[in-house]
Amino acid sequence: MKLSFKPSPNYRSPQSTDSIMRDLTICLCAVTVFAVVYYGLAWGMETGLRVVLLMVTSIVAALCTEAVWFMATKQNVKEGILSSYGWVTAIILTLISSVNVSYYGLAISTIIAILFGKLVFGGFGQNIFNPAAFGEAILMSSFAASNRTDLMTTATPTMVMKGSNWIATSESLAKTVESFGGFGKMLLGGYTSTIGSTCAILLVLCLIFLIWQKDIDWQMPVFYIGTVFVLTAIIGLAKGAGLGYGLFHVLAGGVLFGGVFMCTDPVTTPVTIPGRIVYAVGAAVLTVIFRWRSNFADGVLYSILLMNMLTPAIDKLFDGNQIKDAGKIRTRVLASTLSCLCIGLLIGMFGLKTTAEESTSGAAAPSAEGGAAAATNFGAPISLGNDFKENRCEVEEISNDGTQAVYHVTARGFGLIDPDGIASSSGHEYKRNEAEITIDLASKTITNYTLTVFGDTEGIGDLATTEEAQQLFVGKGLSDEVDSVTGATYTSESLVAMAAAALNAASGN
Amino acid sequence: MSLFTGPMNEHLDGHKELTAHDEVLHLENPETVWIPLVNGAAPCTPLVNVGDEVKVGTKIAERNDHFYLPLFSPVSGVVTAIEKKMTASMKMADHLRIQNDRKGTISKPFAPIDYENASWEELHEFVKNAGMLGLGGAGFPTYVKYANPENVDLLIINGVECEPYLTADYKNMMENLKLLKAGTLAFHKLSKAKKACVSVKEDKKDLIEKLKETFAGTEIEVRTVKDVYPAGWERTLVYMLTGKRYDKLPIEAGCIVNNASTAIALGDAMLNGMPITKKYVTVSGDGVAKPANVVVLVGTPAHDIIEACGGYTSDDCLLIAGGPMMGSTIPNDQFVIGPASNGLTVFKNEPVKVVKCLRCGKCTESCPSGLEPVRINSAEKVKDIETLKKLDINSCIECGLCSYVCPSKIDVTEGVRRAKRYMALVK
Ligand code: SF4
Ligand code: SF4
Repeated sequence: MKLSFKPSPNYRSPQSTDSIMRDLTICLCAVTVFAVVYYGLAWGMETGLRVVLLMVTSIVAALCTEAVWFMATKQNVKEGILSSYGWVTAIILTLISSVNVSYYGLAISTIIAILFGKLVFGGFGQNIFNPAAFGEAILMSSFAASNRTDLMTTATPTMVMKGSNWIATSESLAKTVESFGGFGKMLLGGYTSTIGSTCAILLVLCLIFLIWQKDIDWQMPVFYIGTVFVLTAIIGLAKGAGLGYGLFHVLAGGVLFGGVFMCTDPVTTPVTIPGRIVYAVGAAVLTVIFRWRSNFADGVLYSILLMNMLTPAIDKLFDGNQIKDAGKIRTRVLASTLSCLCIGLLIGMFGLKTTAEESTSGAAAPSAEGGAAAATNFGAPISLGNDFKENRCEVEEISNDGTQAVYHVTARGFGLIDPDGIASSSGHEYKRNEAEITIDLASKTITNYTLTVFGDTEGIGDLATTEEAQQLFVGKGLSDEVDSVTGATYTSESLVAMAAAALNAASGN
Repeated sequence: MSLFTGPMNEHLDGHKELTAHDEVLHLENPETVWIPLVNGAAPCTPLVNVGDEVKVGTKIAERNDHFYLPLFSPVSGVVTAIEKKMTASMKMADHLRIQNDRKGTISKPFAPIDYENASWEELHEFVKNAGMLGLGGAGFPTYVKYANPENVDLLIINGVECEPYLTADYKNMMENLKLLKAGTLAFHKLSKAKKACVSVKEDKKDLIEKLKETFAGTEIEVRTVKDVYPAGWERTLVYMLTGKRYDKLPIEAGCIVNNASTAIALGDAMLNGMPITKKYVTVSGDGVAKPANVVVLVGTPAHDIIEACGGYTSDDCLLIAGGPMMGSTIPNDQFVIGPASNGLTVFKNEPVKVVKCLRCGKCTESCPSGLEPVRINSAEKVKDIETLKKLDINSCIECGLCSYVCPSKIDVTEGVRRAKRYMALVK
């Protein structure tokens, strides 16, 4: 008979880190299953299968990295892996990637995420950056070139909005939303984005489940998602796009997924509730600012990585006794969150410029026809000699008098699946654009370009379809380049593809 | 609780069903008792010599520094030795060993008092001389609390018993409602409080009903609190009942808090002229064969009580003096039940899987003192004195909740204790 000593208390909650990670894994699996089914149904079996294989690749890469690490550092491999929870990182990393990413890009990013995002800091619990976000940043910056381009080329909602610098009127917003099947479909997840951030309802259910199980706090996700909504809804109302603008910001892209699965990562976020509120509001404001003002279509990832760096400082800010220092804590929370919000609102009110406004604000504004909306801002040139296979152009000669020939060309633009559209290599139908192009047969250059049917998203893509934009094609041959229209890259490409197709036809290629 | 803090408490599974509804075991005839000659940290002077005969109720020792507290013999018999022994708070102290002659001869040390007609001064003097002390665990002489009550808004008779597994107070109240009523009314008179209440957890439906019956027609209210830990801790209880926080003593918030079993003891003293000689003690946990509530004499060794409850169930057990949250494990079972003991919890000693802190913040959300245990732990690891100063570590009451909630099963409370010890050395 032996009576042992252990420091009090000797009574422990049934909840364990294992059980928290198990619940998290269950939720992530539910999101994965949804993604597999959606991609399988909408984009074909192989794409659904691809989601599964990507997931497996990433998990295997994560577990192998950890196994090697624990072997190298002479720790118990099985215990090490079971208390390092690398698979959670791997699943999240896969879910915040696009289905287009290459297997090896994902695998290498996972290895880097686990090794340099987590293990070198001392392993689980010690890392500064959210390892999945860290990995995704690597994936996007270093392996973008390895992405499959032929698989799924439709634009995501954030890309479409990015196209117009996230400016919208109530009509253009309504049309954008409609092109993704309406808010209803966005809630249900019938559109492509990153693998995990599709079905809003499912994500909210996961959130409720995790809060109910006390695996996460409600403050963090609610303040994050709430701030994104409030900030963008205010700007939406002020700028005439309405409350729907706020809703769009929440539903499109990674805000919900990030709010549920990434902001709530305990390891890399502050440990007090006031700290978490400040963190969440800061991340939300940064997300929105990144969307409005940076080159990234979505700002969730980078806002989280940036806030991760501030976590130690936020923790320090709230060191003290939460009861005795309640007044100080309240002041600090209000001061920091309100200043974040103000910065967000100011940038929203004054820094949010349409591509048109931005160019007219410069001294050398191009000759605009009919008001501000007609002004066009030109971006990177596209070479007419490119390969436009993906646009699936079809050319038909209408007339040919020996010196000039007129061609009727159709091409797919982007936008969503449309039964009358043109199939892509993945077997999906896109809306079509049509044009009549006149070519001087002697010089093999374009003399006239008239867009006859415009199938892309109105209010967004039509920036590329102004008179001015069409004029760009005049005098161009196959060896020339045409400036793309900033904010309407996909439509520009479609237009250039049609020009190239007509020129090729005229050259007898 | 506000938007910016967590709940600062936690519902935990009390496992009270193990002992709450069973018969109480009476073990009131031990061969020998050992009376610890301490009150809190203060020593008490013996008033008897080895070889003296004593009766039940004989005054055998008293504390006589800035506070006064008499101790009384729980048995009749002979004082056989003054020995050093370990107490339930793991300190060595002198104990008076008394051999029980099993005759149970009683010599009442004081006369009963009619609390309704006695003057305030008489009643206060009575409480002092009857050796009333906080039976909730603190063991602090009770008369001091009532020394000069002014502007007391609320007297709280604390029957919350938030420690898991313990049901001794519950049983004591259920079986001694009359004494509880007398004691409560007397304390109300002493406190000159505008209002008084008996407070219990809302899930104790049967007790609440009985209390309501008992106190019907008096000014005493029955007030319930949520079934959370540590609802029975003074600060939390005062906050739950009045919404007020205080710095040092509950009187700053206009409250006096007194344990329910102390009220019962006072009732016994006033009506029957008997000092504190017996205790209701809960023996529970998966490490003991037959969990039960027992009534034992003060000075009974833990070993005898466990034996009477069927003994240990495993070869490696944790024996805890008190409940599992605040009670400490004691690696031998020779210590005795003191006047402030209310439980023995025995667990099988099973290994716990500890992982690294995942910074979940649960400890900061549940700490009833508003501390940030995880920050304290990490600052203690690197001995960051500046941060530790800011973190107000001395407000920790060692309630154990931070360790309880920790999903990584870290000994968070122990880390805070380490920080306290370290800072005491630094200063
Ligand atoms: S043991 Fe101390 S630090 Fe931990 S919860 Fe209780 S009061 Fe807070
Ligand atoms: S409860 Fe445990 S795991 Fe959570 S922050 Fe506190 S010490 Fe870390």
